[in-house]
Amino acid sequence: MSTREVFTDRLQAGVLLLPTMVVSLVFLYYPTVRAVGLSLYRASLARGDVFVGLENYRRLASSSEYLRSVLISVLFAACVVVGVMAVALCVSFLIHEIDVGKGVYLVAVIWPYALPPAVAGLVFLFIAHPNIGIFTSYIEAFGVDVNWFSNGPQAFVVVLIAAVWKQVGYNVIFMTAALGNVPESLTETAELDGVSRTRRLLRVYVPIISPTLVFLVIMNTIYGFFGTFAMVDLMTKGGPAGATNILIYDLYRTAFQFYEFGFASAKSVVLFVAVGLLMYGQFRLSDRYAYYGG
Amino acid sequence: MLGSLLTALTAAAERSRSAGRTTSERIRRFETEQLTLHVLAATIVFLIILPVLIAALVSTKRAGIVTSIGDLAPGGHALSNYRRALIGLEFWRFMLNSFLMSVAVVVGKLVVSLLAALVIVYYRFPYKNAVFLFILFTLLLPVPVRFVPLYRLTTELGMSNTFFAITVPYLASATTVFILRQHFLSIPASLVETAKVDGVGPLRFLWSVLVPMSRAVLVGVSVIMFVYTWNQYLWPLVIINAESLQVAQVGLSLLRGQASTGEVAWSMVMTGSMLTLLPPLALLVLFRRQLLETFTIQQK
Repeated sequence: MSTREVFTDRLQAGVLLLPTMVVSLVFLYYPTVRAVGLSLYRASLARGDVFVGLENYRRLASSSEYLRSVLISVLFAACVVVGVMAVALCVSFLIHEIDVGKGVYLVAVIWPYALPPAVAGLVFLFIAHPNIGIFTSYIEAFGVDVNWFSNGPQAFVVVLIAAVWKQVGYNVIFMTAALGNVPESLTETAELDGVSRTRRLLRVYVPIISPTLVFLVIMNTIYGFFGTFAMVDLMTKGGPAGATNILIYDLYRTAFQFYEFGFASAKSVVLFVAVGLLMYGQFRLSDRYAYYGG
Repeated sequence: MLGSLLTALTAAAERSRSAGRTTSERIRRFETEQLTLHVLAATIVFLIILPVLIAALVSTKRAGIVTSIGDLAPGGHALSNYRRALIGLEFWRFMLNSFLMSVAVVVGKLVVSLLAALVIVYYRFPYKNAVFLFILFTLLLPVPVRFVPLYRLTTELGMSNTFFAITVPYLASATTVFILRQHFLSIPASLVETAKVDGVGPLRFLWSVLVPMSRAVLVGVSVIMFVYTWNQYLWPLVIINAESLQVAQVGLSLLRGQASTGEVAWSMVMTGSMLTLLPPLALLVLFRRQLLETFTIQQK
């Protein structure tokens, strides 16, 4: 690597780095620092800011509404991770085992990576609509009363399905790439030993691609926390009765419906810490798994 | 692919011999197995496409009320629906704004990140690792954790409701710098040494050596950045109030509001959805090879 470092003009280096550094500093670092500062104030756009110390954090810790939002977010993200990865693993394995036409199947499966979350939300809102949804009458024929505009658990499930649908493709991209890197000889050995397909997937492939899986757990968790905002906003507005009120939506409402910017900043800081812990977790885990990941 | 088929067949033949069965029997079993896999895969593809397929069909109908499978026959209003959405409801404006925003962010990010990656790989200067960490650390600061203070900052700068607000804050990208750095590191060091000996300056080296050698990766990251920017919803929602500046994603939420009050038909919402899906989808299909190649770099 050091042999590549042939240019030594420090001034030039500084000038070339300047755009990235300035934008990072002004629009990424400064707002984050500011969020920490603002979280110590009672701040709104109309009135001036009043220093309140840790009051906002105390309010967070004792707010049952917020704690519920934390629980719902964690539960939602966990369901997204498990749902997405289970489906994506099956799909990727299927494509891996197919001999002819892999490329066509791959594109036909990964396209929702490009799907805007807002479109995913609207399409699901429409096809699962309690009154005019195309599948509503069929599901109700099974004795289920489709009323997710007022039934919390149902709303949670509908948003979850939309979220999983959008995210499977992204996972398949990485999983098929990882499966494609598994040495051919391993597959042959397993086949000669008469190992069944399912066992081959779970006992041979999954351990080998575990670094990719760790990476995807983190990416899917972050997606579950943040990437589903548009779906929640368009499908349920966090309702009914807070059943889909994930943290990012709760934060949005605190800031832009109730205009409590200090309180919202405290919530931002909590999210920042959560993302930090996740990334740190990925860093440590992928370090450990790197040994047999290759 | 042919090779793996042969090995699989040989392996199959091997096993069938030991089991006392004929080779043709084994081949037949292998073919049935592949057939099952294809049927499964086709079913999954169908399920994944189904919601968008329904939306596409609904966008061709007048009212778009489909409460059973039988209602799904395509209607004859495709042209009038798309014309009404684009022109009557001025969706073209949202699309144009999204497009300008995405192109500006892609081009800006690409230039800014290319320069940063060039310095990080090909320059020797003090605190280089610290600088690289400073850039990587921004991965911890996605829009959702900072949009509240960013809103305050942008408003104080007098920049809310401007094109500036939905482009400039996106220009720094740890992911793009990282992908480009990884790619540059895979280009032989001898190239830059030769360039140096020949007296080629860094920018010239970037433009006439690195860029041509990175074409696939540059296309790949551009698609990633375009999809990311095009699909932004939260930030434009809070920072843009003027409808004339609004982007397609938020334009959709306006349509949704109008549909639930009965002002527009649901078919119009699905028409808008299809329009919004089209650009990123087209890019993914067109540049799938470069996109997949770039993703394998990202994960390293």
